[in-house]
Amino acid sequence: MTIDIPSQDPESSTPTAMRFEVLKNLAKDAATTASSRLGHLSLPGRRPLETPNYIGVTSRGCLPHLTPDNVTKHLQTSAAYMSLEDFIEKPQQNSARPPPIFAAPTSSKLPTPLHAFTAMPSSIATILGARRIPAVASPMGNTNKSISVFTNTGFQPLTTTDYLSAVSTLKPDISIPLADLTNSNITPNSKRALRMAERTDEWIVDWFSSPDSSATATFAPVLPVSYSMQWEYLSRLSEDYVPTSQLSGLALYDPALLPDLPAPLLSLPRLSLSAPATPHQVLQHISLGIDIFTLPFINTISDAGIALDFSFPASPNPSSSAEGILPLGTDLSSPEEMLGWTLLQIHNHSIVSQFFAGIRRVLGGEAGEEEFEKARNGFLRAYEADFPAGHAERPRARGYQYKSVGGGEPKKNKPAWGKLGPEGSEEGVETPVVPEGKEVEEKGFAENVPKE
Amino acid sequence: MWATATRRMASAFQPKSHSSAALTFELVGKCSTTRARASILTLPHGQVNLPIFMPVATQASLKGLTPEQLEGTGCRLCLNNTYHLGLKPGQEVLDAVGGAHKFQGWNHNLLTDSGGFQMVSLLKLANVTEEGVRFLSPHDGSPMLLTPEHSMSLQNSIGSDIMMQLDDVLVTTHPDKARMKEAMERSVRWLDRCIAAHKYPERQNLFCIIQGGLDLEMRRECCREMVARDTPGIAIGGLSGGEAKDDFCRVVATCTELLPELKPRYVMGIGYPEDLVVSVALGADMFDCVWPTRTARFGNAITKHGVLNMKREVYAADYGPIEDNCGCPCCRPIEEEGALGITRAFIHHNAAKETVAAHLLTLHNVWYQLNLMGRARDAIVADRFPAFLKEFFAGLYANKKDYPSWAVDALRGVGVDLLEI
Repeated sequence: MTIDIPSQDPESSTPTAMRFEVLKNLAKDAATTASSRLGHLSLPGRRPLETPNYIGVTSRGCLPHLTPDNVTKHLQTSAAYMSLEDFIEKPQQNSARPPPIFAAPTSSKLPTPLHAFTAMPSSIATILGARRIPAVASPMGNTNKSISVFTNTGFQPLTTTDYLSAVSTLKPDISIPLADLTNSNITPNSKRALRMAERTDEWIVDWFSSPDSSATATFAPVLPVSYSMQWEYLSRLSEDYVPTSQLSGLALYDPALLPDLPAPLLSLPRLSLSAPATPHQVLQHISLGIDIFTLPFINTISDAGIALDFSFPASPNPSSSAEGILPLGTDLSSPEEMLGWTLLQIHNHSIVSQFFAGIRRVLGGEAGEEEFEKARNGFLRAYEADFPAGHAERPRARGYQYKSVGGGEPKKNKPAWGKLGPEGSEEGVETPVVPEGKEVEEKGFAENVPKE
Repeated sequence: MWATATRRMASAFQPKSHSSAALTFELVGKCSTTRARASILTLPHGQVNLPIFMPVATQASLKGLTPEQLEGTGCRLCLNNTYHLGLKPGQEVLDAVGGAHKFQGWNHNLLTDSGGFQMVSLLKLANVTEEGVRFLSPHDGSPMLLTPEHSMSLQNSIGSDIMMQLDDVLVTTHPDKARMKEAMERSVRWLDRCIAAHKYPERQNLFCIIQGGLDLEMRRECCREMVARDTPGIAIGGLSGGEAKDDFCRVVATCTELLPELKPRYVMGIGYPEDLVVSVALGADMFDCVWPTRTARFGNAITKHGVLNMKREVYAADYGPIEDNCGCPCCRPIEEEGALGITRAFIHHNAAKETVAAHLLTLHNVWYQLNLMGRARDAIVADRFPAFLKEFFAGLYANKKDYPSWAVDALRGVGVDLLEI
């Protein structure tokens, strides 16, 4: 049941209807240090989200391969991550045209422009960020007032003002303000890291000082740099925006920051944007205290033709007693039909939903934390460390994030149809079925007569 | 007005029916001007209304739609391709699973082709002998031979409600008359082999296929030979291979004239809306084509005003449904049950980018085709089919002078003048 309760703080100038309750803290020192916990996040009009849990990652407003009716019927997912860069391309023919999503008419069934444009069922909560997960690194870099985003028609700057204006128009249930990120695996040097923190700090001040930010629940970004680089920013969050209830949650780019979070931030829901690669990592991040995950690996795994097959706790009686033996999934090779991807998505989302349900059951048990760590170790022992390599051919290399790296690359999919070997080599050959103009003449079989 | 007409026709037309071992064909209405017919075909997996368009679920799935979604379009009879199912999952799996209905979770009717047409459409250099068709497996490159007996055995394993004979298919524009005659005669011989090899005539219907290219005399001869073999239904094959539309219409009209009244007539490979309504007027009942679903994947929507390419910039900020007044899940008004609230803008946003746009357009296009045949049927039953034809072409073309001459001529041949005021 979802209950619409405004912010508890009567003095709050920006009441948000989102509500997060911690149902159970597992660690004794939960008041001072982040750790695993059970929670309940509710938004008016949306399915409630029991945490720990995951949300779907969309591409161009779609959960890949899943039409809205299939999302409603077959997915247990309560929320979907959307990236603004998926909607703001500037078409060559008409570069002055404002992004159509901003004027999408709403209805009672699709109540926000974001839901209406993407036809995302209204039961699914929307979480808006600027970039896709994972984001493509930009060669342009960010400025003091903008970040560089990658749209369908190329890189373009997105200013903090434009982003906030987009948020106030689109009305996502939850928004993640801009963060100054490098989107690279290379750890930024301390000068860059400091600037990242300073810019993100300035941007959050601008964000909350605008009334536009009250249209959404704000999950402030926590940067993937060390605590010493961003402590001022984190202090500002806890001192300035927790008391006013303007801050509704945290969006962490690196779970390693969890142990350093200031105590006042600990009551907020923690969303992970770090894209853990395997369920093992997910379990580790839950131990650290993540509540909600974005898991792009589900889409990637489905595209690769793999049917996930794991559960938590690991099945107590694996067919072999050897450790680390169970694969996390089965490579179905090449579901050449588009429906294959749809069914894999439905299946894989279901497996991950059950995985999280299993986690919540264990955490909710009497000996929660201890039992969870035991089950986590059992899971690590039972399953292989990584997903099987998928060999599926894609229907096409989807999405603009697949960039050519200089041309001359071979085709991703090999051609399905070959020609029947040297003509006449087979016994009993009579006549070819479809002589085409030139072939007919070459074989002296007939002349290519013009049609009367 | 329609209701009155329906009652009048109901009293005027006496339904007639004919049953074969696994099929009943009941003629429930006839157009008093054209040769169009309305009928009910009862197959092992339920009834379907004719005329009908059958979408093509090549490899046991309709291009991204779940069986549930396909059912939601109103489809109760769709195609599978024997050739594809024979290669994958293969006969052994089909036998183990208990047929293609179970394999794809489809509790309604299935029609399978013989596997022969793929020789024309997919393989440039397959070779045909009296024994069968030789080609290379696209999966592993090994040489393969498809015979009438193989085709029947596979289709028996598939368990399709309607099976097609293996025929020697040539493009109708094939220049060599002798080869064409050879193909036609061989198709008749292969029908005999198919009938002999068919294991379950009591629960699967085998349809013959009339061949003979564009040569009307050859077609007539083939009709006589095939009809004599008394299959439960009859197909007109080899068309839709690039021949002129006038030629196509002549062949259909020639064949329907000779075919028994109380058997279903299936024109293979036909799918453009104009072709469907004209073929219905010429007396055909059943059609299939991959075009509606393929064109969906290219970002095209079929509407009563023609085909719209949703990738065009003009639709980028168009928040209307794909087609006004369409009843498909994408287009029906948002307040209605099951409505998805899909806009042209969203389709434009994802056409050729996300498979979801293709799935949504596939839903719409299949709905359009089924609904078009449903409306044609209603018009036949109400004996207002000529008016339906006029409305249909008026919707497609703003100006009468743009009407395709082949359609105007073909319909004139069955008593409808599209150009009269």
